[in-house]
Amino acid sequence: MVSYIVFLLVVAGIYALLAQSLCLAWGVTGLVNLGLAGFFAIGAYASATLTKWGGAPVPVGLLAAMLAGAVAGFVVCVSTLRLRDDYLAIVTLGFAEAVRVVASNEIWLTGGTDGISGIPAGLPRDWGQGFHLAALGIVTAILGLVWLALRRLVASPWGRALRAVREDQIVAAVAGKRVTRLKAEAFAIAAAIAALAGALYGHYTSYIAPEIFQPLITIYVFLAVTAGGNGRPTGAAIGAYLLIAFLEATRFAAEVLPGVSAVQAAALREASVGVALILLLRLRPRGLFPELSQKAPA
Amino acid sequence: MFGALLVAGIVHGLIIGLAALAVTLVFGIARFPNAAAGDTMTAGAYAGLLAHQASGSLALAGGAAVAASGAVSLLGYLLVFRPLARRPVASLLVAAIGVAFVIRAVLGLIFGHQQQVFQVPLAWPIEFMGLRIPPMDITLATVAACALAAAFGVLHLTSIGRQMRAVADDPDLARVSGIRPLRVMIALWLLAGAAAGIAGLMLGVKTVVSPEMGWEGLLTAFAAAILGGIGSPAGAVLAGLLLGIAQEVSTPYVGFTYKIALAFVVMLAVLLVRPRGLFGRMEGVR
Repeated sequence: MVSYIVFLLVVAGIYALLAQSLCLAWGVTGLVNLGLAGFFAIGAYASATLTKWGGAPVPVGLLAAMLAGAVAGFVVCVSTLRLRDDYLAIVTLGFAEAVRVVASNEIWLTGGTDGISGIPAGLPRDWGQGFHLAALGIVTAILGLVWLALRRLVASPWGRALRAVREDQIVAAVAGKRVTRLKAEAFAIAAAIAALAGALYGHYTSYIAPEIFQPLITIYVFLAVTAGGNGRPTGAAIGAYLLIAFLEATRFAAEVLPGVSAVQAAALREASVGVALILLLRLRPRGLFPELSQKAPA
Repeated sequence: MFGALLVAGIVHGLIIGLAALAVTLVFGIARFPNAAAGDTMTAGAYAGLLAHQASGSLALAGGAAVAASGAVSLLGYLLVFRPLARRPVASLLVAAIGVAFVIRAVLGLIFGHQQQVFQVPLAWPIEFMGLRIPPMDITLATVAACALAAAFGVLHLTSIGRQMRAVADDPDLARVSGIRPLRVMIALWLLAGAAAGIAGLMLGVKTVVSPEMGWEGLLTAFAAAILGGIGSPAGAVLAGLLLGIAQEVSTPYVGFTYKIALAFVVMLAVLLVRPRGLFGRMEGVR
């Protein structure tokens, strides 16, 4: 039981990192990233291939994953930054699907649908409970660092400019903000955070495959960020832990319900996630931890 | 070989065109990209499958598909999109993703996840100018052509269609001219749902019916809507045909698994080079 809770906390930490990414892109800058699962996958594959087949140490893999994520984020957003923001959302949706198709078919690079197994963790896996506790410590520490950095960024003049872009791009441009550049920077950093989460996931579970990176991950993170409050890193992180609690609660509820098969239980959970997202958007769009209105700088 | 791929591409393209029509109508009039359009298609495909199993008639299946998808689409509007109408586009889009997941999960709950097929009788292909065309392709192409004719008839020959186009052009002007937004929106979602339903039925007949089929076709529909120009029904259908033919004809070179990737590349290229698409207006682009 303890090891199960530790496992859940590690997974929740990884989701919280994804939530930080979405908080920066969607909550602060207003860019809907429906390709979160794609950037998650890019990071996982970049770090896994480098450390397993390239023999690189895990920290190098993590850095490479962030770099790959940032480059992918830049390439994805650059084609639509001058257009209305919903075009970017459609492109990111396509990006995630394209990543899955490439990961399934380019066997020389990704192992195809078999995936990559035996990804090194940088820690000895035979520590048993100790391994999972150490992983929990590392993931939580990285989450803490990202959360601190994001809080600083959001409160900085740069973060203020991003919020101005979110509220009204024309006003921001008139005020002399370089809207396109700000959006590209925010989106690339957010993509790098998502890729970092993917790399950590691969190293922790030691196995990645294309079918892991389903759009379901993206909607989970949207639910987490909407629940927590999409404009605040703290809210997004807490939302991710609440999400895991919610998913586990529905898992147990489905087991208790009589006459429901495992497949039906999974479908019920998916439906409940969708309904929860719609209800939150309707009833509490600013989340549990709404963005605070800020004083104008003196 | 090329001719056979061309025929397959036209049928496939008509399916994409109908789906893109559903996307572009909502995008042009309700002004957000409806990510639930794909799963509305799936609902139509399952309703058609049930009707076909019960009666064996493809016409009844079409009626059931239109009714089911129209109802799903209208319910989505009344329960979700209408209360959120004044929110930022991003919220509507996220809500649409939520609607898509609910539809898919409910269909998975009822019908399970195994793939099902329409039991249609096998028939000899018809020889025409050296081309072998399966009769089912001709039937499907006729159905699609009729559905498109009906949709364009509603848009261009009826009063509610004129009102829809007026709202698409300028919602404020339409409002002060006495056009009632609720009626227009109900007609819009019914029309978009019906188009998606026919597309889902045809996709189901051509391939297999599964809860994931619509989501997997969504990206291609978006690509066609963008290529045709957001808000342009004729553009959506033409772009759907172009994409369908391109996907089929390129299959020998890139493999059929890369169909989705091809749609994605086309979409990126259009957005980079000519974001208003073939027939779009500049107004959709800031």
